[in-house]
Amino acid sequence: MGVRLLVLVVLSVALMVVDARFTVLKPIRSQASLVLMQSYWITDLPQRLWQGVTSQFGSRTELVAENEKLQTENLLLQGRLQKLAALTEQNVRLRELLNSSALVNEKVEVAELIGMDPNPFTHRIIINKGERDGVVLGQPVLDARGLMGQVVELMPYTSRVLLLTDTTHSIPVQVNRNGLRAIASGTGNPERLELRHVADTADIKEGDLLVSSGLGQRFPAGYPVATVKEVIHDSGQPFAIVRAVPTAALNRSRYLLLVFSDSRTPEERANEAAQAQEADKQGDGAAPVPATVPKPAATQTTPASPATTTPAVKPAAHGDVAPAHGAANSAPAVKPSTVKPAAKPASKPPAATQRQEE
Amino acid sequence: MAGASLSRNGWIVWLTFSIGLLLSVSPLPQFMEILRPLWLALLLAFWSLYLPHKIGMVTAFLLGLAEDVLYGTLLGQSALILTLITFLVLSLQQRLRMFPMWQQSLVILVIFGLAQLVQLWLSALTGNRQPTLALVLPALVSALLWPWVSFGLRGLRRRYKIN
Repeated sequence: MGVRLLVLVVLSVALMVVDARFTVLKPIRSQASLVLMQSYWITDLPQRLWQGVTSQFGSRTELVAENEKLQTENLLLQGRLQKLAALTEQNVRLRELLNSSALVNEKVEVAELIGMDPNPFTHRIIINKGERDGVVLGQPVLDARGLMGQVVELMPYTSRVLLLTDTTHSIPVQVNRNGLRAIASGTGNPERLELRHVADTADIKEGDLLVSSGLGQRFPAGYPVATVKEVIHDSGQPFAIVRAVPTAALNRSRYLLLVFSDSRTPEERANEAAQAQEADKQGDGAAPVPATVPKPAATQTTPASPATTTPAVKPAAHGDVAPAHGAANSAPAVKPSTVKPAAKPASKPPAATQRQEE
Repeated sequence: MAGASLSRNGWIVWLTFSIGLLLSVSPLPQFMEILRPLWLALLLAFWSLYLPHKIGMVTAFLLGLAEDVLYGTLLGQSALILTLITFLVLSLQQRLRMFPMWQQSLVILVIFGLAQLVQLWLSALTGNRQPTLALVLPALVSALLWPWVSFGLRGLRRRYKIN
């Protein structure tokens, strides 16, 4: 019995060391998780059933009320988006004037929460998208209100997400008001982030919005992370104590967004753009107004397309951002209201010529 | 070992283990998360106490690996803990079976507490040190649950004549 214990202990220690240092065991782990991760799904089942039942038996008046509420909300959001399209356009143009690089476009996909990590001392969740859905290690995860965390473990159909508030997690942020940079670290409390090493004289105050700065090369820039809750100036401390509350509902959100940044090479993007254009042309015969009609249909693949067809930055910037918002709302009403007509033809031709060249 | 003696209804043992795995990831309210009993350890302790020819350290090791995959900890971490628990239970087996229930609970408390301390040490090595000793609480809850688990499983064993 003692010998067996010794063998097993040595074996498990060896496994731990190998797992910590090398990636040899990853395939085994992901195969095992294929079966075992179902248990998260099973334990989530009662709640899912309950939701199904409540939605089945929801009364008609309730549904009508909800529908009305959603329609109002939709209207409001659409209204805000109209403004956004114009602002984006303006932003792009200003960037052109400054000769700075174009904004990177991001694509999001919805994932669903299927489990919480059972260990109360870590803040990790399990989502229902995995390696086979194209999720990659370190991918940022959002909810409707802000950044939530990043993917830390991949399994075939599920993945584990480390939340911002875990004690081992930190994220580079900046104050939205004045661009002051800082690092927000998790504290192990789901409602609390702490800004480390902020000078006592730094211009930061209660109510400031912290957005991701994108400096860590991991999170995209500009997503809301937290709002500052209190700033304590203690003369006994070398730095100010800054506490912030995450804007995302870290322990309440059930539907999350996975952010995919465009990692294709310029050639691939050019090719895809050309193909999409081809499809467009075939799709709606001779549509002479390219600015309004075909765009929403093609937006899935094209967002970043023209960026690469021309070496110059300028038209690229246009094509890069503008269609994305056309896609996001897919409401034709937005298009005429903005300054698009002026911008569109500028970005259109390069892609078309590229296609002909190929 | 098991070979010669006829083993019956072994699948029930494995069923209890799979239920244990489910229980160890089932969602709990925030404040109870910290008190989650060590279901797998409890089940292993019971079965290795009553079916020592069948459930031993190797089973514990394999279940531990499964738990590691579920929890996303280093492969081998829970395996080590569960192997240790099973070893301690097995080495005290003759005495434990004689003890009255409250004394059994006490021994279980000590064994699980030790295991949780090893767990604390291991997670400190991997950089996730828990700030408090609160992780000894699951051992306490498990010890309190032991009489019921033991009673229920003994009934199950008698009912299906698991051997």
